[in-house]
Amino acid sequence: MPSPAIRNAARRRAYLWCSLGALPLLASNAAHAIPAYARQTGAACADCHAGSYGPALTPYGMRFKLNGYTDTDGKGFKLPAAVQLTETRTVPTQGDNTTRLSQADLYLAGRINDYLGGYVKVQSFNQGAGKFNTQLGDMDLRFVVKDLKLGGRDTTLGVTVNNNPGFQDPISALPGATANGPPAVPGAGTLLNPSSSNTLADRVIGASVYALYDANWYGEIGSYNALPTSLQDRFGYTLGGDPGRLSDTGYARFAYMRDLRRQFYSIGLVALTTKRQLPRIGPREGITDLGYDLTYQFLGNRENILQLAYVNIYERRRYAGVFVSPSVPGLVSLPRGVVHDQTLTLTYTFKQSYGLAYSHLISSGTHDAARFTPHGDPDTVSDSISLFWTPFGKDDSLTSIANLKLSATWFLFSKYNGSSDDIFGNAPPVTNAHDLNAFLLSASVAF
Amino acid sequence: MIKSCSWPFLRGALGAAFMLGWALAPALACAGDASAGSDVFKSECAECHSVKEGRNKKGPSLFGIVGRQSGAIADYAYSDALKQAHWTWSADKLHEYLSQPARQANPGTKMKYDGLSDSKQLDDLLSYLSTLH
Repeated sequence: MPSPAIRNAARRRAYLWCSLGALPLLASNAAHAIPAYARQTGAACADCHAGSYGPALTPYGMRFKLNGYTDTDGKGFKLPAAVQLTETRTVPTQGDNTTRLSQADLYLAGRINDYLGGYVKVQSFNQGAGKFNTQLGDMDLRFVVKDLKLGGRDTTLGVTVNNNPGFQDPISALPGATANGPPAVPGAGTLLNPSSSNTLADRVIGASVYALYDANWYGEIGSYNALPTSLQDRFGYTLGGDPGRLSDTGYARFAYMRDLRRQFYSIGLVALTTKRQLPRIGPREGITDLGYDLTYQFLGNRENILQLAYVNIYERRRYAGVFVSPSVPGLVSLPRGVVHDQTLTLTYTFKQSYGLAYSHLISSGTHDAARFTPHGDPDTVSDSISLFWTPFGKDDSLTSIANLKLSATWFLFSKYNGSSDDIFGNAPPVTNAHDLNAFLLSASVAF
Repeated sequence: MIKSCSWPFLRGALGAAFMLGWALAPALACAGDASAGSDVFKSECAECHSVKEGRNKKGPSLFGIVGRQSGAIADYAYSDALKQAHWTWSADKLHEYLSQPARQANPGTKMKYDGLSDSKQLDDLLSYLSTLH
């Protein structure tokens, strides 16, 4: 059996990898302002994204998504493809600084006809030493029927086939859509949070039926299944992150949204429930996520845009079994528990070009001394602050259908693994939560 | 007799009406504040319409819209309903059209707009649109 010092070192490496691995998610380099859509519709990036680059959507962008990415300027076929390249300088508090082409993405995105459209991202991450890991990223394929009347009211009906619960959401405030879920320690974090270990994001496939009634009422219901491990491997994902075998999985989403042209607000509920076997030959555990989200946007004349979103997801777990702590004799883990993710995001954008985004992220859970060592709590509290500039993508800019985003982002941890100090336990050297802080400079170009 | 008497009269009356309309149209359009109308345009119209000449989005360019014939932009795919309307987008016609849901004003149109009920904003918008030449 390894010594406590070796176990602590291994745990530290795993946790550091996990927390730092979440940073690209937080950086939100995921361009959702796909130039292919701009070419298809004649619209500018800024019409769908307040900051001309995404991922947060304006009400117009939400309608485009709800309409299955099929809206067009009517000028015939446009190549439904786009590319994004991102160069990043990473300055962690601990570890070496790096400057590299961090990510290259190919988007296949656009309409097939008035009823079919989609979004598929193929992403390639620079692992260092010239090695790239290419993955199938988020995917959302849609069939939609527009301009229906139900009880005399406008109704849109659609089907989405996607691989990330929440990514398909039109309000785009859920962690699956923002790629901005709270960093979570291994074993914590909700299923709806892509920053959780063994996340469902991009490792499942699901379908749901959705409807928008009278422009304000949104409902969606569907199901997911985990991809076979062989397919996950083929899509570029390590088997260590397998979400496990899922069964009896249900996803539901209801929201009321109101577009007042100069303002927008929404209130929504989301639920995800599943039985999971992790590992796949193991017993089943029951997991249910219940969440709500509130959003507000002041859009005005688009000179000064304020976007506010709060997401609160509560997860109830009935674990597959209990185990005895390997480090504290006689200590047994709890058979049940809850984890809880909260994200508050505030974004101000000036002239659709200059922006300041702030996020406060909390991941917490039931105290379980055996499960969450060494402090017994999985709690993580972090903040991100980002300044960005997007010079193009407006009607009056040099080009409205391609863009550049320059950003400086600070990630600040005030608690990790249930503590602010000595987050990995008592083996020196001591690591404090703020040792996970990092600063990123990035330049992304999309065309 | 009647014909010989009425034609010059009618011609004069039509000319006077045209001159009156020509004089009044800008006055009507200018009843609003074009600067405020630019803001109304950005919040109500800009997602679907550009003010640049030749740039169509989901809707056609609104450059030169005041006084233009409906369905007149050659490379924009209008709905059959608008093609058959044969309207002239005078300030009055635009006022009438934009003050109600587009589908009510022109059944069968592609345009999805609920209408602008605030008359001050509508006047401002029309003033702004009249500057797009």
